[in-house]
Amino acid sequence: MRDDLKVGVFLCECGGNIADVIDLDEVRDSLDVEFIGQFENLCSLNGRKIIRDAIFDHNLDRVVVAACSPISHEKTFQDYVKPLNPYLMDMANIREQCSWVHDDSERATHKAITLINASIEKVKQSDAVDPIYCQTPDEVAVIGGGIAGMNAALSLAKQGTKVTIIEQSPSIGGHMAKIGKVFSPVKIAEECGMCLLNPILNELVWNENIEVLTNAKVIESERRAGTYNLIVEQSPRYVDTEKCIACGKCAEVCEVEVPNDWNDNLSMRKAIYRPFGQSYPESYVIDMDNCSKCGDCFRTCNMRAIKLRQKPEKSLLQVGSIIVATGHKLFDMEKRPEYGYTRYADVITQSELGRITGVNGPTKGKLLKSNGEVPKRVVMIQCVGSRDEKPDGHRYCSKICCTVALKNANIIKHKYPDTDVLICYTDVRTPGMFEKYYKHTQENEVRFLRGRPGEVVKKGDNFIVRTEDTIKGEFVEIEADMVVLSTAMEPSMGTREIAETLNIGTTEDGFIKESHPKIKPVATDVQGIYVCGTAQDPKDITDSIMQATAAAAKVSEYNYGGVEIEPFIAEIDKEKCTVCGECISRCKYKSMSIQDDEIYIDPMSCTGCGKCLVDCKQRAITVNGNVDEKIVATINGVLSKKREGERMILVFLDNIGYTAADNIGVNRLSYPESIHIIKVISVNRVRPRHIRYALENGADGIFIGEFPGDLMYDEVERKIGMVKECIAEMGHNPERVTFSKVYIPYFTGLARKLTDFDNKILELNEAK
Amino acid sequence: MTTQKITDSPIDFAEDIILDVKNSKEDGVLKCVQCGMCTSTCPAARHSDYNPRDIIERVLEGDMTIMEDDNIWNCFYCYTCHSVCPVGNSVCEVNQILKQFAINNGIGYDKLYEYMGFADSYFTAAIGAIPEIFFEDIRRDVPGWWEFRQNLGDIRDELELNPPLMPPEEVIDEVSTILTITGFKDRIEKIRQSQEEE
Amino acid sequence: MKEIPDKNILLFRSCLVSVEYPGVEASTKFVFDKLGVDYAISEKQTCCTGLGHYSDVFDQLSTSAIGARNFRIAKDLDRPNLVMMCATCYAINKKSVKLLNNKDELREKINNLFDENGLGHLKYEKDELKPTENIFHVVDILYNKIDEIPDKIKYDLSDYTIATHHGCHYCKVHYEDTVGGVRDPHILDDIIGACGCETIGWYDHKRATCGTGFRQRYSNPELSFSATADKMNAICDEDVDIMVHLCPNCHIQFDRYQHLIADREKRKFRAIHLNIAQFVALAMGGDLDKVIGAKAHTVPIDSVIKDLKEVEK
Repeated sequence: MRDDLKVGVFLCECGGNIADVIDLDEVRDSLDVEFIGQFENLCSLNGRKIIRDAIFDHNLDRVVVAACSPISHEKTFQDYVKPLNPYLMDMANIREQCSWVHDDSERATHKAITLINASIEKVKQSDAVDPIYCQTPDEVAVIGGGIAGMNAALSLAKQGTKVTIIEQSPSIGGHMAKIGKVFSPVKIAEECGMCLLNPILNELVWNENIEVLTNAKVIESERRAGTYNLIVEQSPRYVDTEKCIACGKCAEVCEVEVPNDWNDNLSMRKAIYRPFGQSYPESYVIDMDNCSKCGDCFRTCNMRAIKLRQKPEKSLLQVGSIIVATGHKLFDMEKRPEYGYTRYADVITQSELGRITGVNGPTKGKLLKSNGEVPKRVVMIQCVGSRDEKPDGHRYCSKICCTVALKNANIIKHKYPDTDVLICYTDVRTPGMFEKYYKHTQENEVRFLRGRPGEVVKKGDNFIVRTEDTIKGEFVEIEADMVVLSTAMEPSMGTREIAETLNIGTTEDGFIKESHPKIKPVATDVQGIYVCGTAQDPKDITDSIMQATAAAAKVSEYNYGGVEIEPFIAEIDKEKCTVCGECISRCKYKSMSIQDDEIYIDPMSCTGCGKCLVDCKQRAITVNGNVDEKIVATINGVLSKKREGERMILVFLDNIGYTAADNIGVNRLSYPESIHIIKVISVNRVRPRHIRYALENGADGIFIGEFPGDLMYDEVERKIGMVKECIAEMGHNPERVTFSKVYIPYFTGLARKLTDFDNKILELNEAK
Repeated sequence: MTTQKITDSPIDFAEDIILDVKNSKEDGVLKCVQCGMCTSTCPAARHSDYNPRDIIERVLEGDMTIMEDDNIWNCFYCYTCHSVCPVGNSVCEVNQILKQFAINNGIGYDKLYEYMGFADSYFTAAIGAIPEIFFEDIRRDVPGWWEFRQNLGDIRDELELNPPLMPPEEVIDEVSTILTITGFKDRIEKIRQSQEEE
Repeated sequence: MKEIPDKNILLFRSCLVSVEYPGVEASTKFVFDKLGVDYAISEKQTCCTGLGHYSDVFDQLSTSAIGARNFRIAKDLDRPNLVMMCATCYAINKKSVKLLNNKDELREKINNLFDENGLGHLKYEKDELKPTENIFHVVDILYNKIDEIPDKIKYDLSDYTIATHHGCHYCKVHYEDTVGGVRDPHILDDIIGACGCETIGWYDHKRATCGTGFRQRYSNPELSFSATADKMNAICDEDVDIMVHLCPNCHIQFDRYQHLIADREKRKFRAIHLNIAQFVALAMGGDLDKVIGAKAHTVPIDSVIKDLKEVEK
């Protein structure tokens, strides 16, 4: 029945670009279709009229436009064939892949006929389908209430988006709240971190578009057509935030004292406490793990805010996108016991030094050792857990530790000029303007020793830091009475957990991985989920804020535009599907999930690669758009034009490979006429049986190209290996099939590879 | 001043080390950033002029005179540097490779001569006994050791240790054959001859 | 953590144990028997080449060829799990397995030599043994049985001040396989803990070498004993009674040379030196002469351990 379809072919002369090489008269004569039109510039508005009129006048069912590459003008001609469904039109690329790469008019003309014939056969297999429109709800979850999450939330809220911040601890604020002082390389001065954070915090608290959930965690997530359904669990605070006025009477009467984690356990707090002075919500919280349940706080509270019977609550949050801002934690010093952190009170981390020198810290800003004295010499050890490939270490540089050490050294020197500060470093990394701050630090008489210490031991009252002074080439033992370790930044537990809950990719170091480190620095590998701050990699406050606002912009872009999706994606036959889940584990694009006991395919992430088809034992999955039939028809369309003694090589490329092939033409390089390029939505859709079929029906060679950055690359490479084995068993020469990497800019390489392959096929043919 | 000629290829020396069968650290030596962690933990650096970081620096400079530097013989083979090197190098292994390079180039035979007894005991008993050449020193330094050694048989009997100390004849023969076909016997004879000639 | 076996074990004889501290072998057998470990000793197995290897006399080809022969013996006895009493045997054999598996050229060269010289029966096949799954030290086996040790303890040694010295060639050479860490090694401390005793834990130079340094002890005694003195001074500062070892070479350095270094440092060092197997055997009731082999010790064991009190059950 498809053979009866009325096909119209429109030939474009392209102002001579095509007609000068290809004899279009001969092309017209060779085609047997309902209608053939020709115009010097089909893509012009006049072209639109010609095509439309012909469709009406001749009742055309299908259209083939033989012109330039679909990469250039497919959208144009999809529009020009209206009211025909856009997917009932196919383009034969007789410019970039014919007239621009071949000189010999006779052979180019024959190839053009072949390509047009392939398009005719292909378009007959097309059906009318509608693109899928997805609109995501304009509501966003920001996971993590540190400096990155706060800024992302604020930016979105100010653009009118409803934002929910989900923070695991009892207060938002994150690491920046406890950092003490911050510095800017331009000002060459340290300033109060809390004073910078507080206005942001206030702005956020008063913004009506932002809701803050503290003590809260996302424990489950599912996604349906652009909407995420998050299950959020809030652990009880045991204090009603509406009623509590943060007067602190409860803490006064509480008799339980435990180490204050906000002060890095350097001071004590009560079991009922407020995390820090400016914490939000402005309310106390009970640490139930340590509460003795004496009831004193309950009896003291005039506001009756204490609710000892609160239970964990789960709630559903529906959002269109998610920003992950779950941050970092610091390296566990038990992994490097040689530095004595767990043995000696005065071996501390830079974070602890930040607390000690902070005016709201355990010593109200005084630099004191555990015995209450001011240290005479502070030795700082850099790269603890960073730039260290040994077990439990991190190969990466944590990026901020050099400048943090400089800052803390300066803070010490300002207040205690008599305290000697020595920084043991491997490299001082102060790129850009930070270098000025390094010079400033040297002017402050902070000393530097180039060497990576081996261990810290206690001898009498002092520590001994054992290290080589690598500039002198001498082993030295340095006495010190305080040692500060610049510990690595690593992904927080929250970061690791959320990656698992949301099923987003992580790097080998456990940070959230961007979908492309260069050009997509805030997108994750799951559509609609973005990342910012130290959840993504070590960075400072400035970079965290920049990435946060970039993530917010990306969310807006996504929410505002809506998305139109080509409909050639997988579909499940629910009658046949047994929900075995095999497809979920196979899909490299994470587009499948189980929802309401059925397999759900997310149209926004499915690429139609067809990987799931092969592994579905029930054969319950199809990919819309007759992709299989179209490939077979295209192969037939090409091979049916094969002349006596002609070599025919079929080249299968996806969008990236096809663009590279177009570039060969754009740059007027050439390859043999035997090369016939067939564009597929995914190289994975070329099945072993297609290859076999082509070889058995006259193809002399098959060339498959794939971009190594494609998630399916390994899979395709493996598959082609298997196909070669299999066709060898069937008596074909496996060398007639080849697999190659393709890159858009490396079109010269592709041209050479195509030419080489043609030569090889020629040899094989001659040998025969 | 030294001049580095355009034709000089200092990295070749490191490449040779990387290719040696003993090297377990792949390109580790090339990744050295001279941080000094090895020296910071090295017992020989603490008590002598041995400097493991400097060894790698010289290797990376292509300085082959390092093979003749007596300092390399001060390494304890304690592998502390190997266990902590942040970039995945092992000076300890590089040192062992350098010494094998030296020996293959006829350097350091005098350092090995005292230890020929180790080789002999493999051929005669297939065990690695402390060379007799050191017995005098040990008798002097360790009170009661000589007497203990005289009574070793009795002590072992009391502990009812079985099988006996010496392996059977055919085992010793087999081990001797192995050490002959690997070229070890020739190597030992070459070292011994060169020293005894002097 | 790595999988540790308790059967099909070839207890690998050590030359230094055999001629210097034979009680370590007797104690290991005593403790293994108590813990139900299935092991055997073979008279065919020979020295790992350790001392010769680390004095640079041996080349890697010869050491690995000797290794291949010993591995064949273990396989032929159906005892593919090699368990060492000496840290150097452990490091050397583990390295040889790695090389024989991964360096095809070396393995083929050795196999060809065997073939050409009538030793074809010794040939090693790639991956016949696995470095992590087949090569162990006695401490690994004891650690694996750590929950069963307390029941077998007869004597209470908890009144003594105990320090541990972890042999470098157990901890540091193949650090990825080391149980209990290498930066503050504590596998011995853990095993001693299972005997009801608490060690002093960290002390200065805890992870440092004993100072033997193979050739250093004989050719460079000043350097060797300086390093040992660091450690002896540190344990003397901690007033240690018993220092527990896992390697006979370290054991020699401390026990045999304690007098000499005391003279050198002008201090009185009084710690006795026991291998971990001897320590556990002693706690399990092993006889000083018939199991521990006290007569082989230079610092008399009874200078510290006077009378043993039984644990209260």
